[in-house]
Amino acid sequence: MKVNLYPKEGLLVNAFLVLFFINATQTGVGIVGLPRIVYMAAKHDAWISVFLGGGLSAVVLAMMVLMLKKYDSADLYGIQVDVLGKWLGNAMNIFYMLYMTISFFVILMNYIEIVQVWIFPDLPTWQIAIPLILLTIYAVNGGIRIIVGVAFFSVIGTIWLIFVLIVPMQYADPKNLLPLLNTDLKHIVNGVYKTSLSLMGFELLMFLYPYVKEKKKVFLYSQLGNLYTTILFTLITMISITFFAENGLARTIWPVFSMYKIVRLPNLERFEFIGVSFWMLVIMPNMCCYLWAASKGFKRIINWKQNHGIWVLGLLVFVGSFFIKARYQMNEVTDFVAKLGFFSAFCYPVLLSVLVLVKKWFLRRKKASAEVS
Amino acid sequence: MFKRKTGNKQSEDKDKKPHSLNVDDLKSELQAVIGDCSDLNFRTLKKNGKKIVFCFLSSLIDKTSFDEFLLLPVQQNTQEEWTTESLAQILPIAEISAANQLKEVVASLIEGKAYIYVDGEPFGILANVGTTVERSLEKAETESLVYGPKISFTESLIGNLNIIRSNLKDPQLCMEDITVGKRVKTPGKLVYVKDIADEDNVNTFRQRISELDYDYIPDTTVLGQLIEDNSWTIFPQIMSTELPDRVTLSLMRGRVAVLMDRSPSAIYGPTPFLSFFESTEDVYMRWNMGFFLRMLRIISIFLSVLLTPAYVAVLTYHYEIIPSALLISLGQSRANVPFPPVLEALLLEFVIELLREAGARLPTKVGQTMGIVGGIVIGQAAVQAGFTSNILIIIIALSALGSFTSPSYIMGTAIRMIRFPIIVLAGLWGGIGIMYSFCFILIHLLKLTTIGRPYLMPVYPFRWKDLGYSLLKFPAQFLSYRPLTNRPVDNERFPKQKGREKKDVDE
Repeated sequence: MKVNLYPKEGLLVNAFLVLFFINATQTGVGIVGLPRIVYMAAKHDAWISVFLGGGLSAVVLAMMVLMLKKYDSADLYGIQVDVLGKWLGNAMNIFYMLYMTISFFVILMNYIEIVQVWIFPDLPTWQIAIPLILLTIYAVNGGIRIIVGVAFFSVIGTIWLIFVLIVPMQYADPKNLLPLLNTDLKHIVNGVYKTSLSLMGFELLMFLYPYVKEKKKVFLYSQLGNLYTTILFTLITMISITFFAENGLARTIWPVFSMYKIVRLPNLERFEFIGVSFWMLVIMPNMCCYLWAASKGFKRIINWKQNHGIWVLGLLVFVGSFFIKARYQMNEVTDFVAKLGFFSAFCYPVLLSVLVLVKKWFLRRKKASAEVS
Repeated sequence: MFKRKTGNKQSEDKDKKPHSLNVDDLKSELQAVIGDCSDLNFRTLKKNGKKIVFCFLSSLIDKTSFDEFLLLPVQQNTQEEWTTESLAQILPIAEISAANQLKEVVASLIEGKAYIYVDGEPFGILANVGTTVERSLEKAETESLVYGPKISFTESLIGNLNIIRSNLKDPQLCMEDITVGKRVKTPGKLVYVKDIADEDNVNTFRQRISELDYDYIPDTTVLGQLIEDNSWTIFPQIMSTELPDRVTLSLMRGRVAVLMDRSPSAIYGPTPFLSFFESTEDVYMRWNMGFFLRMLRIISIFLSVLLTPAYVAVLTYHYEIIPSALLISLGQSRANVPFPPVLEALLLEFVIELLREAGARLPTKVGQTMGIVGGIVIGQAAVQAGFTSNILIIIIALSALGSFTSPSYIMGTAIRMIRFPIIVLAGLWGGIGIMYSFCFILIHLLKLTTIGRPYLMPVYPFRWKDLGYSLLKFPAQFLSYRPLTNRPVDNERFPKQKGREKKDVDE
């Protein structure tokens, strides 16, 4: 397997689209329930945890870009083989493929659950899983440009959903945020950890990197994308904390939709129906990106057609959807992915980038000493 | 295998073979090739025992110019001997060429040329005295305008080129000859401004047209369908227009146009999705009016797709969304309706489509009566009979109106057609169904290309400078560049600084 990937000129995307890519992959089903989960860990200082979580992901993202820049135009599949060797590298590649497939699965299942809870309680899971998987496959078949396009339109098309939150803000009580920093560090750190599931997705940059046209600007735009997400998440958490009463938030599984519930227009009530429907556009780039990156592995590791890989993974996820029947199973899987994601999106890239830096430094020294002697 | 090879060789020889050098044999040869063509005429003259023959298809030539410019000079010419050379000197006709290949002669006869052959000469003369039936210039019918030039193309290629040339007096305007079709070869022109249009776009057009292996292409709209990037989709990817000023505006923005003989419309590309919602009127109006109208059009198209499915979704699954005051009136009007909302909506959409189609097929005078019969009688009666609700009638009428605002008739039709599957999906999954089809259309549009360029161009890949040309409309002083979407070679329309200059107070 070649470490570097040189796609055709026509497949490249502009660097500033990385901003949308990062933001779209981070924003997904996670944000809907994020305020509650973090609130349970860090109480009314939850927004600080979310903000710190965003900072943490910025650091990881910076390390990632640093690592990617050491190569000419490589993706994670290539880098792992280059650093860890053929066997261990490919084993990690397969692990990463599995992780991304499971992430895809969890996003899909979480959305289906939301739909079933909020709109159609009687709708069988497969009836909504099949169309969504097919739609994802249709998008992924179009290649990276289409997927980044979906991410772009997802961010542009759902910006207005944020402004709808102005309505619940009018009923909010800012005093809920006080006293500031009342929670001890342990709980805040725990909150940061809980935030990680929602912030996951930026690790996909390691697969997008070869397809970016101006590689020098990747750092800037990826940081901007992450900053936007961080501000957005912190804001939403703050609104949730101030809007709900002290124990109300802990008992509301999807606080964002609950807040949409009170939005009232003269010809439209119960805004959450629109919110839930529109969330499909929010999760679309998530599913597309994960499926694309995972199926890319088929091409990179065993040189299959990526097209076949897409269908194999799609089928796999569809079969998997039958195994989840109850809410507690969903919770278990989501927690599992949260742990997996914390390792593979936050810890592992840092580890790998340190390895890469050490390796490159070592090689350079070796080369320098060879030149001297 | 050997046999086939020789056979090929023979047919090749046949192609290259000059016709018989004897006048009588030539006649029978032509007769044999053109077949039982009753309008193939011969006129033979004799002088000093030397024969001269004029061959022509009487339906295609202009009788008076034939008599005046071909027969008369030959008959009156008494001094010189009849040879091809001498005849070529005396014929007062601009388009003259020499030929002796049977195939070439036949092809030219079909184009409306006359063939003059002197007995025993190695070559004959092809003289163009053809005429075609043409209508005079008229107002545009399918793309009607309130404001701006109203002249439209006709079926004559030469006439159409004349209009474009006189609209666009640019020495760099290129008109390349192309032939369209394999069996019936229709002449056409590839039109572009040489130092503006991107070479790739021109090449794509040229290559796609020349590689077409199709027997007969009746019109540019058909040609457009054949050279499109994706023929499965419902969305048109190449614009077809009958307005010459639309073509010239596009040419100056770096697009490439194709015209064909006997076709009253031109096609041009690359035309991204949003360009189908641009009217030439936007350019002729003041910029703020143009901006308003363009926004109006895009919003109305959006509503046209969304309104009926939203009605179906809300009334089938999400009653909670409607505020109670509105719910009462909705409930009252729907109380008599025995169908589920999906069926009701599909039925009424079907009626509207019927009205439109019937109105389009009927003569204009009856067409207006159609509108009254359909709109008032059916609409009113349907509500009173408890067939549909009042509110649905309003919604359907609104969405029909919205779809008609598209300046491109084909795009309007596409918009009306995609509504049906969305209505069905809304009936199946409510708001989720609508959002699903919305996502699908978005991905589908992202996947499409027009002449190899992305279909959603100024929006994705994002070119904010081009938004002033497509989605929005900027004042003229800010549009100092040509749209990047078409990758123009010469990008500058006027110096940027000149547009931005501002006078100081009292200067």
